[in-house]
Amino acid sequence: VSKWICVICGFIYDPVLGLPDAGIAPGTAFEALPEDWTCPECGSPKSAFEVYEA
Amino acid sequence: MNDTAKNDTVSAGRIEIGGTIFNPYSKDFIRTPDPTWQTLIRDYPIAWHKDLQMWLVSSHELCDKVLKDNRFSPNFRLWELAPPPKAEADKNDFDRAFEKGFFAVTPLEHLRLRKLTMPAFSKPVMGKIDAKIRDLVVDCFDALGDAEEFDVYETLAVKIPVRSIARMVGVPTDREDYFHEFAVNVIKSTRINLSAKEREVSVQATLPGFRFFLDEIAKRRAAPHPGDDFLGSLVSASVDGSSLDDYEILSVVFALITAGSDTATDLHTYLIHGLLSNRDQYELLKQRPELMENAIIECLRWGSFGKVPFFRFAAEDIEFAGQRIRKGQAIGVNIQAAWHDPAKWPEPMKLDITRRLDGNIVFGAGAHFCIGTYLVRVQGSLMLLEFMRRYPDAELADGDGRIDYEWTHHNARRINRLVVKTNVAQARKAA
Repeated sequence: VSKWICVICGFIYDPVLGLPDAGIAPGTAFEALPEDWTCPECGSPKSAFEVYEA
Repeated sequence: MNDTAKNDTVSAGRIEIGGTIFNPYSKDFIRTPDPTWQTLIRDYPIAWHKDLQMWLVSSHELCDKVLKDNRFSPNFRLWELAPPPKAEADKNDFDRAFEKGFFAVTPLEHLRLRKLTMPAFSKPVMGKIDAKIRDLVVDCFDALGDAEEFDVYETLAVKIPVRSIARMVGVPTDREDYFHEFAVNVIKSTRINLSAKEREVSVQATLPGFRFFLDEIAKRRAAPHPGDDFLGSLVSASVDGSSLDDYEILSVVFALITAGSDTATDLHTYLIHGLLSNRDQYELLKQRPELMENAIIECLRWGSFGKVPFFRFAAEDIEFAGQRIRKGQAIGVNIQAAWHDPAKWPEPMKLDITRRLDGNIVFGAGAHFCIGTYLVRVQGSLMLLEFMRRYPDAELADGDGRIDYEWTHHNARRINRLVVKTNVAQARKAA
């Protein structure tokens, strides 16, 4: 399962960790996030994310 | 009075304010801005400012909305008072770089630019920048010797940011002063609070600097490898077969300068001012340096050094927060006030480096979120760690650091004197 990076601010979404504070359970794939989900760092939409290959 | 102005005056329900409510140039405001911000947040979260000829948005909620809404564009060309566009033949390097830049292109083009430039600003690259600028931070402190007192502005704040950026973009050390002048003129060229004439003088003064970078880019393109530094990574950046042309790279340098050199001067003075005037927080940071990033953002929020708001321009007629914003009108996004909005920040005037900062807009929000956010953190932490290591007992001289401001600064509530008493001799004696 891939990590995704926000190209605006560099925030990395790690599906293994999820975002428990924001109600997103560990193990939630990026694709499964709601369509209106936005980057917790800068507020950009999902379309500003791309697969992150570290 | 023309028809448009007449319509404005009579438009029903429009909330209007003037310079008596908010005058960013007044000395009282520059010294003690919070009462003004609280009035704006409470009574005028959005209002048309008659003297500044722009909408002013001041609450956290509304600033956050404007920043995340692409109909509010940073493109100065959309402004109803913008000078007419120049003919192609009359355009200079400043115009060409501006047109290709983050603040002028369409949202789709902007996303492409950010994708191409993000690697150059990402956390790993900034980690390498850390090594490049660490010695210049140390040099600035070494130059202080055993001083009993020193002025943070003269010795650190003026020197570190512009030299850091010069190093990032590969300006030779002996041209750093020249680069500083270039940086100040780039910023002045984009400020709509200056007159058209003042802006044009600044534009002309930027041209030799742009030439320098165009030559440098050409050298990189001609070399067998463009280099893995900041400029080299921009030259070699590629996403889906698309890469950056010369003026796009110039526009990134332009953005880096406007956002990163003059503004970061205030980063250093306000970090030290914030921590030394809240002694318990300075002690806490010394004990828990892992709070560094949070402390930097909280100090920026607390000190809120901006004077003039960010500018946006309505790309279409917009109904917003009960007001009718007409296409082409300017919107001042008063994020400095928003950082002190009690609805978002309980006890906004309290500096608390352990504060949860979720949802903060200290680096903006939305598509134009500060691209240099990691650079700020790297530069701020390097300076503070060195400061704390050398001067654990530092205090502001005479209680207030004999603080003074550059009253006429075009952008910030610029502190241009902040004297720190180091107490190093005393500590040595005690030991």
